[in-house]
Parts: sequence; C-alpha cells; structure tokens
Amino acid sequence: MPEFSPVDYAVPGFILLIIIEMVWARRRTPEKYEPRDTLTSLALGTGSTAAGALTGGFILALLFWAYQHRLFDIGWAWWAWALCFVLDDLAYYWFHRMAHRVRWFWASHVNHHSSQHYNLSTALRQTWTGFIAVSFIFRLPLALAGFPTAMILTCGAFNLIYQFWFHTEAIDRMPRWFEAVMNTPSHHRVHHATNPVYLDRNYAGVFIIWDKMFGTFQPELGSERIRYGIVKQLGSFNLLWSVFHEWIGIAQDVWRAPWRHKFSYMWREPGWSHDGSRDTSDAIRARWAGRQSASGSE
Amino acid sequence: MNQALITQLLQLGGSIIAILLLWLLAAKLGLGGDVRIRDENHARTLAEDALCGFVPVDLVIDRAGMGALLRDVAGRVMLLRRHGAHFAARLLDGHSFARLDRNFLTIANGEKRFGAFTLDLGDKAQVWASSLRRLGA
Repeated sequence: MPEFSPVDYAVPGFILLIIIEMVWARRRTPEKYEPRDTLTSLALGTGSTAAGALTGGFILALLFWAYQHRLFDIGWAWWAWALCFVLDDLAYYWFHRMAHRVRWFWASHVNHHSSQHYNLSTALRQTWTGFIAVSFIFRLPLALAGFPTAMILTCGAFNLIYQFWFHTEAIDRMPRWFEAVMNTPSHHRVHHATNPVYLDRNYAGVFIIWDKMFGTFQPELGSERIRYGIVKQLGSFNLLWSVFHEWIGIAQDVWRAPWRHKFSYMWREPGWSHDGSRDTSDAIRARWAGRQSASGSE
Repeated sequence: MNQALITQLLQLGGSIIAILLLWLLAAKLGLGGDVRIRDENHARTLAEDALCGFVPVDLVIDRAGMGALLRDVAGRVMLLRRHGAHFAARLLDGHSFARLDRNFLTIANGEKRFGAFTLDLGDKAQVWASSLRRLGA
C-alpha cells in the first residue's frame, strides 16, 4: 500500500467536526444525534478500516496486475492526476449506482444508509463487506487504462475525504455555482432520504454532474420533509446486525426461493421478489406518483 | 510483530477510544432528546413515512406515546415503536405474537432484532388484542 495515506491524516479533522456538529445539534435540535446511533456508526467506520487492512493486499495486487496489462503509459504528469481524480469519481458514480440497484452490492452498501440520522457520524458508517461484494472491480478499468496504482488509491482516498463534510443538516445550500458542479449537503441529503421522490437519486461522489448526465439527479425540494434511512428501517442498534442483515436476508431468500429464481435474489434490485410480495424503490415511487396525481385531480 | 502491524493495532486502539469518548460526549450533551407520538395526526404521518400508501382507518396510541398500532382499510395492522430518536414500523402478520396483560399489550413480530414491544393501551388493549388474534398473532 502507498506510504502516504490521506485518510489517516484526515481522521482528527473528522472527529473535531463531529464534536462541533454535536454542539450545534445540542443548541438547535438534540434529535439530530442519538448516542447509540453514533456509537454504531463510528464502530462501523473502525471495523471498515480493519476489514480494509485485511483485504487491502489482495486488492492492491489485483490493481498491480491490471496495471501490468495497461493500454497506455500515462505516467505521473500533473494532468494525469487531475484526469485520474475525475475518472475515479466517474467510476465511483457507477459503483454507487450499482450498489443501490443490485442487491449483492447493496448488501454491502446498506450499512451506510441504515441510520435514520443524517450527520457527520453517518459519513463514517462504512461497510465491512465490500470485499465480499467485489466492489473493487469498479476501479480496475483505471489501472487497465494505465493510471499508476498509487495514483488511483490516492485519488480514491481524497474522494472519500471529500464525501465526509456533506453528511450534515447544518449546512443548507452552497453558492449556486458550487451546487451546479459539486456534490453538496443538499444533494446528498436527497440521496440518503427514503421519501419516494428521492429514492435512488444523486449517486455522485464529488461531482454532481454525473447524475445530471446520466439522468439520476433530483434537487432537494423545499416542500418535502426528509426522512432518512432505509425503506424498512432496521429498528436496532446492534452492530453485527447492521453489518450482516442484508447478507442474511439474501441467504434466507435464496434458500427459500424456487430454483429458477434463486439467482435473481442476488442480482435483481433490492426489494425484488419472485411473487411480487415486496416493494422495489421503483414500485414505491410509482405508487407515490399515482397517489400524487390522484390527489391533484380531485 | 513487525512495525506495520504494531502501528495498525495502535491505530485501532486509538479509534476505539475516540469512538467511546464521542459516544460519551453525545450522551453527556443530552443528544437524542425524548421523542413521543404527540397525537393521532403524528401517528398517521409516521405510518405514511414508514409505508407509502398506508392510510390508517383506526389507530391506538400508547399512553406514553412510545408506540402505536394502526389498521388500514385493507385490514393490515402496523406496529410503530420508538427507536432512539425516531420511530420504526412493521406490518404484523400471522408470525406475530401478542400477549395481553390488563392494559398492556406486548407484541413481537417474529424478527428477533426488532424485538418485542409493550404498549400501554388503556381500555383499548383488549379490543386490539382480539383484532390481532384474527391476524393469527
């Protein structure tokens, strides 16, 4: 792994900002934080780091292997850093979109969404099972293209650091030009919301332009009171249940399903069922839209 | 042990200490508040939040506002209960369990981690216990 690890240097800043936000919450709305929820989120973050340390060697080796079969010799020019950062963010967009649309990836990513709170501690609520979900494959094209492995990992680390600050309700809107290009607290609140109109929107990491380009952008609406979390709220602060509940759900569904549907319980979207007894986000959105149009025509 | 492993273990230990300190700070600052279901409209809003399209035709709220039971026109029954500073909900079905003890109705929906929840429903407890029995609970 590269000697320079930007995330390690950022951690004290993360802690300081969480403390500042807690003090802000105490003055404004104490419900913005919940001690047990914060404990679970932070433990998920620490466990994710430990899991990453265990599996990082394999991912590094895979990236090196891909780099050995590279298409171009891009090298270390300044523009290569800029291009790598932008393309890594594009790769993140597609990873993140798949993480919401394919249950196998969602089983790993759901940890990040299972809090009903949206604060800076939520940002640290990271997965332990990203390796099992093979989410690292989304970075392979960069190595195959010819970006050096250390450059890809450094850009990825700065991408992760950028994503910390916008997990907050303390900031309303940034200047218009910033909101137009960059991911912001407002855009990402939409992403964490369970309101039907907001489901599966705003997958961006750093640049919100990807959502605008690929048709998944949804601005925050003044008329909608945001609810955070997942469609079926966990109702538990149990750490291990937070980590593994969706994997257990997949295992149970695959076990019970008829043979021809077993695979679908892994690769179809979350909420899919062979008998239609559950709701996908598309189904929830359609039901909500139907009710909206019905109430509008009355 | 090599140096890298020792460094990683120290980092892990430091992280765990920092986590516990932040948790203590959150508790010390009184964060989380004391959320309750205020009235029927609040319960209806929470039900709609939990399940889009769930429109209760009948409901009962725990006397301390910690939870509620709601029934929609299709006969589905939803249990709402406090979870930290928010509420979590489940639709009850034949796998649910209900036990009546005078004014107190204890309900478990079959999910171990969601847990059993006891509502103080006053004189409405018996009526709701009977209706849950019709679900098979």
